[in-house]
Amino acid sequence: MKHLLASGAVGVGLLIGSSTMASAQSCEISIGSVLSITGSMAAIGSAIGDAGKLAVDHFNEAGGVNDCSVKYILRDDQGSPNVGVDAAKTLVEIEKVPVLLGAIQSGVSLPILTSVTVPAKVTQISCCSSAPSFTTLAAEGGTQGYWFRTLPTDRPQAAVLAKIAAERGYKKIAIIHVNSDYGVSLAGRFKQDIEKLGVTVTNMVAYNQEQASYRAEVNAALQGEPEALFLVAFPADGATVTREWISFGGPQKFVFSNALRADEFVESVGAEYLADAFGIDNAQVEGESVDAFNKAWEAAFGSAPNGPGLHTMYDAAAVALLAMEQAGEATGTAIRDNIRKITSGDGEVIYPGVEGFKKAKQLISEGKAIRYVGATGPLEFDQNGDVTGPYLIWGVKDGELVTLDKWDNQRVSAAIGEIDN
Amino acid sequence: MSGFAAYLVFFLIVALTYSIVTMGLNLQWGYTGLFNAGVVGFFAIGAYGTAVLVGPDRAQLIGGFGLPFPVAVIGGMVLAALAALIVGLATLRLREEYLAIATFGIAISIQLVALNFEALTGGAQGLVGLPRPLFELFGSPGAYNMFYLCFVAVIAILVYVALEVAVRSPWGRMLKAVREDETAARSLGKNPAAIRLQVFVLGCTLMGLAGGLYVGFIGYVSPLDFLPILTFQIWAMLIVGGSGNNLGAIVGAVGVWGLWTMSGLGISRLLPVAYQSQGGAIQVILIGLLIVLTLIFRPRGLIGETEAVSRHTR
Repeated sequence: MKHLLASGAVGVGLLIGSSTMASAQSCEISIGSVLSITGSMAAIGSAIGDAGKLAVDHFNEAGGVNDCSVKYILRDDQGSPNVGVDAAKTLVEIEKVPVLLGAIQSGVSLPILTSVTVPAKVTQISCCSSAPSFTTLAAEGGTQGYWFRTLPTDRPQAAVLAKIAAERGYKKIAIIHVNSDYGVSLAGRFKQDIEKLGVTVTNMVAYNQEQASYRAEVNAALQGEPEALFLVAFPADGATVTREWISFGGPQKFVFSNALRADEFVESVGAEYLADAFGIDNAQVEGESVDAFNKAWEAAFGSAPNGPGLHTMYDAAAVALLAMEQAGEATGTAIRDNIRKITSGDGEVIYPGVEGFKKAKQLISEGKAIRYVGATGPLEFDQNGDVTGPYLIWGVKDGELVTLDKWDNQRVSAAIGEIDN
Repeated sequence: MSGFAAYLVFFLIVALTYSIVTMGLNLQWGYTGLFNAGVVGFFAIGAYGTAVLVGPDRAQLIGGFGLPFPVAVIGGMVLAALAALIVGLATLRLREEYLAIATFGIAISIQLVALNFEALTGGAQGLVGLPRPLFELFGSPGAYNMFYLCFVAVIAILVYVALEVAVRSPWGRMLKAVREDETAARSLGKNPAAIRLQVFVLGCTLMGLAGGLYVGFIGYVSPLDFLPILTFQIWAMLIVGGSGNNLGAIVGAVGVWGLWTMSGLGISRLLPVAYQSQGGAIQVILIGLLIVLTLIFRPRGLIGETEAVSRHTR
C-alpha cells in the first residue's frame, strides 16, 4: 500500500511536470551554481564555489532538505556571459535545478536572469553582483521577484551618507571617486540623493587608481568652493587625495566611503585633520553568526575565510535551502515565496552551520517561525531582492577609529523612503 | 518539451547566431583573405545599435527609441556597415598581420567606448530590460525559444543562400583572385582595393546582424559580452569548420560552440563533486585539445574549400 502511494505520488509529480519531491526516502534535489572558475575572476571564483558547497554539505549533514539529499552542481562561466548563460540553461533544463546561485560579475548574472531563470521561473541568488541595474530591472517587474542578492548594494549607503551630510548643514559638496564600477555607481547615487535633499554638488571628479599624485583631480574638485568632500576610494589612494586636499586648503570636512575605514588610512592622513570626518560601513561584519561561519570554514578548509564573496555565497545557498525546507517543495516559485519568511519576522534565530540547520529543520517541522541570521549577519530582502543591512557611522577621535552612530534596517529604509519621495 | 530538447533549442539559437558571424568572417578571410581580428567589435556595434534603437526610454540615457525590432536590427546593421566603411578606408591598405593588429585594436577600442560612454551604452552596467520581439504572443518560454530558433534559422539560411549565390557569381570569383594574387587581378583590370572594401563592409554587416539577433534573444547587453575571446571563438569556428566554405562555417559554428559548452555539461556530470572547482580548468584544456586534434587530422577543416573552376573550362 505504501509502495502504491509512493509511486502514485511520483506519477502525479511527473504529470504536473514539476520537480516536487514527496517525502520519499531516497531522493535528491539538485541546486546549481554558475561561477567564474577560470577567466578574469578565477582568483576568487573557486573559493566562492567552495563556500556554496560548504552550505550544502552542512545542510546534508543536518539531514537534507525535506529528507532529500542535496546535490550541488558547480558550473564554470569562464568569465564570459555567453558561456555562463549556456551553463545556466543546462542546469535549469537538464539538471532541473529550482535555484541557481550566481554569477559573480553583473554582466554574467543579468543575461542569465533575463534569458534563463526568469522565463523558467527559477530563483536566482547572487553572492557578488553589485550593479544597480538589477534594482532597476526588478522595480520594472523584469525579474518577477525571482532575483535576490546577499551583498548590500550602494543604494542604502548613498542614502544614509546623503542624509547625514545634509543634516550636518553642508550646502555645497565636492565628490572625488575611484573610476571603477563601484566608485562610479556609489558616487552617482550619492549625487542624486544629496541633490534631492537640497545640497549642491559643485564637482564630481573620477580618479584612476595607484598614481603618485592626484593634484589635478583635487584642484578640479576644489572649484566652486565646496564646504566638504565626499571621497569614494581605497585607503592608499584615498590618503593621497585627502592629504593633497588639505594641503591645497580644502575645508577639513569629509564624508568617506566604507573602504576607507582602515587604520592605515587614518595614520597616513593624520588623525588631527579628520576630527570633522565621518564615514559608513556595513555593521554586519561582526557578531555571533559571523563567528559561527568563520569557525565552520576554518574547520573545513584549515584557513580563515579571507576573500570576497565567501560569506555572501554561503548565505545565498543557505537561504535557498532553508526556503525549500520551509516551503516543503523544491520549485523556484516556492523558494521565491519563502525566502522572506525565513529571513525576517520574529522567528527563532538560526545561525550558520550543521547545528543551526538541524535546529531550523526541527522548528519548521513543528510549524514554528525561524529567522536566519547568516554569515554576513541579519539579512533582510526588500521588494527588489536587495538586502538592506544595518550600517555603522564611523569617525576619528583621539587618533582612533570610533563608531559614532548605528543605523538599523528601519532607519535605513526610512532614509531611503524620505529621499525617494 | 523535455529538458534536453529545450536546452538544444536554446543552444542552437546561440550557435546559429554565431554561424552568421562566422559566415561573415568566411567571406572576409575564407574567400578574400582579409585577416579581420576585430570580429567582436562589429558584433558589438550591431548589438549596441539594436539595443539603443529597440530599448525603452530611460531618463539617464540618450537612446531608448523603442523602435520595432526589425527596424532596430537593420539600424544596427547600418551602423556596423558604416563603422566597417570607416575602418576599411583607414586600414585596408594594410596586409595580413598588420590588418589583424589594426582591427584587433579597433575592436578593443569599441569595447572600451561601450564601457565608458555611459550616456549611450549604460557603461559597465549595460542596457537592461530590452524587449524580446513578439515575446507576449507565446505562452511559454519553450514555445518562444522554438519560434526564435526558427527565426534565426531562416535568417541564417537566407544569409547562406545569398552568400552561395554571391561567391559563385563573377564577383565571387574576383574575391578569390584578389586572395590568390592581387597583382594578377589588377592586371586583368579589376580593382582589388574596391573589392576588399566591399567584402569588408559586407562581412561586418553580417556580424552586426548577428549582434542584433543576439540582443533580441538575450534581452540585455553589456561590455562583458564583447571581450576579445569571442573573436577567437569565431576564428576557431571558421578554421575548424573549414575556411572558404559557407557550409563549413555553419558546421564549425555549431560544432565548436557545442564543444565549448557541452564539454562543461559532460565534465560536471562525470566529475565527483569534490573536484568540481577543477572542472573549469579541465574544460578549457579539453576545448584546446580537441581543436588542436581537429586541425592535425583535418587541416583544411571539417568541410574544406572545394575546388572552384569555371564550368566553361571543363
